[in-house]
Amino acid sequence: MIASVVATLDDVDTNIKLQAVLEELRNLPCVELGDIDDAGYRIPMTIDSPAPNALEETTRRIQECHGVAFVDVVFVHFEDMSEDSVKTISGKSVRS
Amino acid sequence: MNGDLQLETSAVQRRQFIKASAMAAATAVASGSGDLLPILADESGGQGVDWDKAPCRFCGTGCHVQVGVQDGKVVAVAGDRNAEVNKGLLCVKGYHVGSALYGKDRLTKPLLRDGDRYREISWDEAIKTIADRIELAPERFAFYGSGQWTIPEGYAAQKFMKGGLSNNHIDPNARLCMASAVTGFLATYGVDEPAGCYDDLDECDVLIMWGNNPAEMHPVLFSRVIDRRSRGQKVTLIDIGTRRTRTTDACQHYLEMKGHGDLAIANGIAHLLIKNGTYNKQFVESFCSFKAPDDENPNLHGKAISFDDYKAFLEPYTPEHVEELSGVPADQIRLLGDLFGNPDLKITSLWCMGMNQHTRGTAINTMVHGVHLLSGHFGRPGDAPTSLTGQPSACGTVREVGTLSHALPGGRVVANEEHRQQSEEYWNVPAGRIDATPGYHTVKMWESFCTPTDQGGDIGTIWVQVTNPGQTLPNLNKLFNPKGDNKAGLEDKFLIVSDVYPTASTRLADLILPSALWVEKNGLVGNSERRTQQWFKMVDPPGDARDDCWQTIAVAHELFNRGTEGMKDRDGRFLFEVKKDGKPVPIWSWQHYYDVNVDEHLFEEYRQFTRLKHKDLAPYSEYVKARGLRWPVVEKEGEWRETHLRFSEGFDPYVAEGKGIQFYHSSTKDDRAQIWFHPWIAPAEVPDDEYPFMLCTGRVLEHWHTGTMTRRVPELSRAMPGGYLEIHADDAAEYNLANGDRVKVESRRGSLEMPVWIDGRGKPPRGTVFVPFFDETVMINDLTLDAVDPFSKQPDYKKSAVRIKKVSA
Repeated sequence: MIASVVATLDDVDTNIKLQAVLEELRNLPCVELGDIDDAGYRIPMTIDSPAPNALEETTRRIQECHGVAFVDVVFVHFEDMSEDSVKTISGKSVRS
Repeated sequence: MNGDLQLETSAVQRRQFIKASAMAAATAVASGSGDLLPILADESGGQGVDWDKAPCRFCGTGCHVQVGVQDGKVVAVAGDRNAEVNKGLLCVKGYHVGSALYGKDRLTKPLLRDGDRYREISWDEAIKTIADRIELAPERFAFYGSGQWTIPEGYAAQKFMKGGLSNNHIDPNARLCMASAVTGFLATYGVDEPAGCYDDLDECDVLIMWGNNPAEMHPVLFSRVIDRRSRGQKVTLIDIGTRRTRTTDACQHYLEMKGHGDLAIANGIAHLLIKNGTYNKQFVESFCSFKAPDDENPNLHGKAISFDDYKAFLEPYTPEHVEELSGVPADQIRLLGDLFGNPDLKITSLWCMGMNQHTRGTAINTMVHGVHLLSGHFGRPGDAPTSLTGQPSACGTVREVGTLSHALPGGRVVANEEHRQQSEEYWNVPAGRIDATPGYHTVKMWESFCTPTDQGGDIGTIWVQVTNPGQTLPNLNKLFNPKGDNKAGLEDKFLIVSDVYPTASTRLADLILPSALWVEKNGLVGNSERRTQQWFKMVDPPGDARDDCWQTIAVAHELFNRGTEGMKDRDGRFLFEVKKDGKPVPIWSWQHYYDVNVDEHLFEEYRQFTRLKHKDLAPYSEYVKARGLRWPVVEKEGEWRETHLRFSEGFDPYVAEGKGIQFYHSSTKDDRAQIWFHPWIAPAEVPDDEYPFMLCTGRVLEHWHTGTMTRRVPELSRAMPGGYLEIHADDAAEYNLANGDRVKVESRRGSLEMPVWIDGRGKPPRGTVFVPFFDETVMINDLTLDAVDPFSKQPDYKKSAVRIKKVSA
C-alpha cells in the first residue's frame, strides 16, 4: 500500500527543534519526507508500506514523534491489500 | 527485454508514479494550494483510474473523498481538496474506507433460517417472505433503520410505513446516539439542528468540549483546530470529561467530572454570570425567555418562569457546591464563568454522546444552549453551541426526513392533524392514511419484540436495515438476546436483517438480505453541520447484494400486487411510481432499478417538505455539482446559496431585516429562545458497595461503530484487535491486576470477561472503568443500563454500575 499524510507540527519554535523533528521523521522506515510548507509547520510525506499493517504502525510512530501535533491522511492506494479477513462470531454462525 | 522484465519494469514505474502522485497530493494539501491532485489531472499517468467524489462512509463529520475506480473495483481514495469540511484531509479510517467494501465474508445471497442453519433463497422468495409477514399482521410489523440510511433510503422507508401501512413503528438507531440533541434544540429554539457550523472552529477563541473526544471520534475537525494553533493563533481548548483521552492531551484545561457533573457545571456557570453581572442583559431581554420543567405535566414546553425565578433556582449552585456535585474544582468553575462572562471572546461548545447518552440528556442539552444564550455567545461566527453526530446521515435521514416514530418529513409530527394532512397531500395518499398515534421508540420496540405475544409483546416482525441492534442496544439480555433463546416463548417472532456483513444482528435473524454498500449505490446524506451531500454509484455490489432502497420498494410493490390498499395512492397508482418519458418504470424489478435515478426522484419529492420548516434544500442537480450545501439553501439572483449561521441577520435569509437575531420557530411564538433551568439530578445508577465502579462505554479511533466494517480491515483490526477494560493504575493495583490480565466485569444485567489495559489510550479516574463497544466478542451492552431520558427516550451508555473480579493472569 502507498499512502501520503500530512503531519502538523506544534511546539517547534526554533530551527534546532524543527531539524530534530525532521530528522526523527526521516529515520522512520518506509517514510519519505516532502518539502515543509512555507509557514514551516506542515510536512507532507509518503508511506510506502511493504506490509498492509505497516500503515497504521507508521502513522502511530509519526504521531508519537515529539513536536508532531496531528497526522492526517491525504491519499491511499490499496490495490495490493491483503485479503485476510477477521474472524467474527457472527460470521461463524452464518456458516454453521 | 524479455517479457518478465518488461512486466517488472512496468510495475516499478507504476508504483513510482503512484508514489509521486501521493506525495504531490500531500504537498498540495500541506501548502494549501488550490492545485488539483496530480493523479486526477494526469490522464496519461492515471492508468485507467476513474475518479469521482463521495462523502466518507463512516462518521458524521462528512469528509469528502475522491474515489479511484479501476476495472470495476475501488483501488484508491484521496481527501477531496475542494471539500470545505476536510480541505483534502482524512483521518486514519480514511486509509480503509475503500477496502471496507472488500472483506471476504460479504453477504451475497438472501439467506432464510431453516432450523439452526440457513439456506440460500432467491430475492423473489425473500421479498414474498417479507410481504407474507406484513400481510399476516401489518400492525405488528416494525422497521428499524439508522443514521446510515441514505436520505432516499430513509424517505422510502418512512413513506412505506407511515404513508403506506398507516403504521408508525419506525425508528432509527440514532435514537441511541442523538435523540437528546434533537429534544434539546426543540426545547430551546422550537426547531432542530445547530445554528452554527464547522466554520466556527476556525473563528472561535475558546473551544469547550463537553464529554466529547473529537481527537479520536471526529479527528479531521480536531485537526482543523490544532492547525490554527500551529499557525500561531491563540485558541484555548477545554475538555470537560469523565476520563482523560487523546483530546485531553491537546487541551490547556481538563475538567474531570463525575457522571452528571455537567448538569451542575452548567448551572454553576449561569450562577456566576448572574452573580457577577456578566450575563448579556441586552441579548437576554431582546431574544430570550426562561423555562423550568413542569413536574405535573412533563413536556418539552415546560413552564414559563421569570428571570428572578431563574436567578433564585440557580442560587445554590455556587462554585463550591458545584465542586461537591461534579468533582470539578471551584476554581475551574470560576474559569468557565469568567470566559463566558467575557463578551470579547468567541466561544464554541461541541458535544456528542457524552451529553446525549444521558438520562437527563434533554436537560443538559438545553442547559448548554442556555449558557450560550445567557452570556450572548451566540449568533456570531465562532460563538455557537454545536452538537456533533456519530453517523453519516443522523441529521439528513433521521432528523430531517423524520424517520423517528413520532415524526414526519420536514419537522412535521404525526400527532398534529395539519402536519398529517400536509404529508398526505405531498404523498398523494387518501386523507386519514397517516395514523395520529406515535409508534414505538427504539427501546420500547425491541422490548415488545422480545416479550412473548401472550404477555403483551405486540411487535411480531422487525426489519432492520443498515444497523446492528444486536450489538448496540442497551441491556441486550433484555432487548435482543431473548430472540435466540428457545425457551423465551418468541417462536412466532420474525427478525429480518439487511446488511453487508454477518453481524451480531444477523446471528439471530430469520431472514438475512445482502445489501449494497457506499459507492455500490447512489446516495445522499446530511452531516452534523446541516450539509447535504450526494454521490453516484461507482462499482457493482458483489453477488446478489442490492440497494436497501430497492428492497423496500420491491416489498411495497409485492404488497401492491396483492391488492394492499396502503400501497396505492389516491389515484390507485403504486406508491413509489416513477415515470420516464411519461411511462412508469418498473423500478421494483432489480434489472430496471437503475433505468432511472430513483434517488433523484425520491429526493425531489422529499424536498417539498423541507420548505415547511425553513430547512430548504436545493434541487438534486445542485448537490451533484457541490461538495455539499448547508441548509437552508435558498435561490437568490439565480444562485442557490447555503446558510452558515441560522437565526442571525446577514447570514440566515429567513431573519427579517432589522431583527438582528430572530428565533423564528420559537415555541412561545415571539421569536425568543428559551433558557432552561434544570436541577442537578444523580445518574440513574450509581456505584455502591456491591457494584463499586462506574462503567462508561464508547468508541475508539480505529473502529467505527460496531466494527462490522472496520474489523474486516486487517490493518485496523491489528491496530486495535479487541475490546478491553481501561482502569486506573491504583484500582488495578488494589485488585492485583496487570496489563493483559482477564477480568470478569459484572452489572445487575449481565457479565463478561475481557483483558485489562492500564494506562492505555484513555485514562479513567479511580472508580471509573471504560470499555469500547466495537468488539462483538466483548459485548459490553450485555451490561449497560436501559434507563432512558424522559423526553428523548435515549438510553445512557455512560453510567452503569459494575464490579470486577480477576479471572486469570
